[in-house]
Amino acid sequence: MLQLFVGQLLNGVIVGTLYGIIALGVTLTFGITGIVNFALGAFMAIGAYTSWYLTDVVGIAYPVAVPLAVLVVAVFGLLADQTLFRFTRNNLINGLIVSIGLISVIQSVLLMLWTTTPKNMHYILPGVLNLDLFIVPKMKGVVFLVLLAVILATYAALTRTWAGRAAYAFAQAPEAAKLMGVRTGFLQTGVVVYSTALAGLGGALYASLYSLEVSMGSSYILKGFEAAILAGIGTVMGSLMGGIVLGVTEAVGSIFFPQAYRDAYGLVFLVLILLFRPSGLFVRTR
Amino acid sequence: MFAAATLATCFGIAPAKAQDVVKIGEIEAQTGALNTYGWMSSQGMRMAVEEINKAGGFEVAGKKYKLQLLNPDTQGNPQQALIELKGMLEQDHAKYVFGPFLTNIYKGIEPYATGFDGKFLLIGGATAIHFDLGKAQHGYLMRSWNWDAGPSGFGSLMVANLKQRGAKKVAMLMQNDAFGHVARDIYAPLFQKEGIQFDEEWFEPGTTDFSSVLAKIAAGKPDYLFPGYSDAVLYDIVRQATEVGLTKIWLVRGSLGPGLKNKDALDEYIIYIPKYFEEAQNTEPKVKKFIADYKAFYKTDFPYDQAPLCSSSCYDHVFMLVEAMQKAGSVDDVAKVKQALMSITYKGLWETRYDETGEEVINFDVVDIKKGGNIEVSHFTPK
Repeated sequence: MLQLFVGQLLNGVIVGTLYGIIALGVTLTFGITGIVNFALGAFMAIGAYTSWYLTDVVGIAYPVAVPLAVLVVAVFGLLADQTLFRFTRNNLINGLIVSIGLISVIQSVLLMLWTTTPKNMHYILPGVLNLDLFIVPKMKGVVFLVLLAVILATYAALTRTWAGRAAYAFAQAPEAAKLMGVRTGFLQTGVVVYSTALAGLGGALYASLYSLEVSMGSSYILKGFEAAILAGIGTVMGSLMGGIVLGVTEAVGSIFFPQAYRDAYGLVFLVLILLFRPSGLFVRTR
Repeated sequence: MFAAATLATCFGIAPAKAQDVVKIGEIEAQTGALNTYGWMSSQGMRMAVEEINKAGGFEVAGKKYKLQLLNPDTQGNPQQALIELKGMLEQDHAKYVFGPFLTNIYKGIEPYATGFDGKFLLIGGATAIHFDLGKAQHGYLMRSWNWDAGPSGFGSLMVANLKQRGAKKVAMLMQNDAFGHVARDIYAPLFQKEGIQFDEEWFEPGTTDFSSVLAKIAAGKPDYLFPGYSDAVLYDIVRQATEVGLTKIWLVRGSLGPGLKNKDALDEYIIYIPKYFEEAQNTEPKVKKFIADYKAFYKTDFPYDQAPLCSSSCYDHVFMLVEAMQKAGSVDDVAKVKQALMSITYKGLWETRYDETGEEVINFDVVDIKKGGNIEVSHFTPK
């Protein structure tokens, strides 16, 4: 039982980082542009399909295909920002409607290109690490480390670079940031593109673990939002922690309760947290 | 109208008569997460229709007919399937409809189809069709797939075989949907009868990470994992099962694909396969010809992993229907054609006949993939 519990605790942490990377995109986009971008799940699907296509169809090595897929998603993110999201900034409803419309467009294009038949990438790194107390699939371990590194690097960039501090400043007081010389339009575009690239990275890594189908991003964007709300919108490390809490709740919950309702475990936990800490787990209350 | 009749008389042009063409419908998912079953059926059916028409059609009661295939894509969606079936029955007046293979689709169209009892035949592989065969107002039904249970059932045989392998405990991991519950209802008694402990776990459609539930199952140390039921989930389940040490898989639906992809991590992958084409192409001339024809027709590689599903409402069934119409001496008397279908044994890719309830009985194979990819095939011909 201990082995099962520890194993699932670890599995929850790993799956949780995938929720965390989406949550990070959600929190960054909302914090800087005021847009609730539900299309991040669809961008994740673009990243997944692109990495699968580049690896299995074109024959490019997976470590090269992943950054290429991220680049492709970032370009789509830039296009989406310049043609759509630019006009909806700081307008919650318009941004939401545009992002929901964008999901339909992206899913339809993916359907036209690759139908709804699931795609399975060849195994990049098969096998498991057996550490007595728990077993970790090697590829899941790699995905976890990459996502963790990206989230930590994002945190470092936001806290230790001028651009990062400018983003924080803009999130807290847009007018003051503008007066201090922050190029706000450029900053907002950069954040939208970076958030979509994060979703693309999540998708590209997801493709090495699971089967792909066009609506795969739907559940992940919901989990990403759950994680972001659980942590408290606006906290970078909180996004990671929110994702991990959600992943662990689902994984450990599935040991004691039926797997068929695993999505509900995270939601119940979210409701409980919000009852006692309405601003989220990792937001400091004054 | 008068002008058309005059033209036809003067120039000897006979207007195309509806009875010159026999319309056959097909309601299958050709795309979608559950398209595995319908896609191959559609592939084979197109080939059969093309082959028959290219040969000049077929003769019934001294008259030549050609076939017209109506095969839109249900995408695995019951509402879409219902729209398509309505079109086939009310606009195209098709009297023979093949499919569906999916239980959820059948459940979706059954109430409507029942209103057309006696006016058409629905020949499908869906497991749920079994339970309606012989029921009042369901004379239109025939089932184009071997039944799991019963003395000739492949499931009964496979469970008995599992007992011989020393299995004492089997864990089922099934999708929480219509077929999943039907599968449990079929197999729980079969395992019980053989004295094999049967545990069940369920997952929601759309699940891709099964590691938690598989770890839970693994902790119970079953001898075999019985996962369901389509390749859309099997690739993920089989991979993740091997990662938690569940290396013996036993299935009654799905393809060899997930087993072959994980062949180095698996100890056993036992699966009911209507025909193991890789072997049959060397021993059965009809199979060899079918594979060559397929490659020429679609200008692509032969889908060995999907091909066994051509045993249901597919290539052979079109030829069998034509033979039945010829025997019945009619293309539109569905009662006579059904009677003829029930009385013949068609020898094509499979040796196919229907039992007294209208359920298909075909010869089949059980394939066992061993560690590293070695394959053992057992052939069965039900009594």
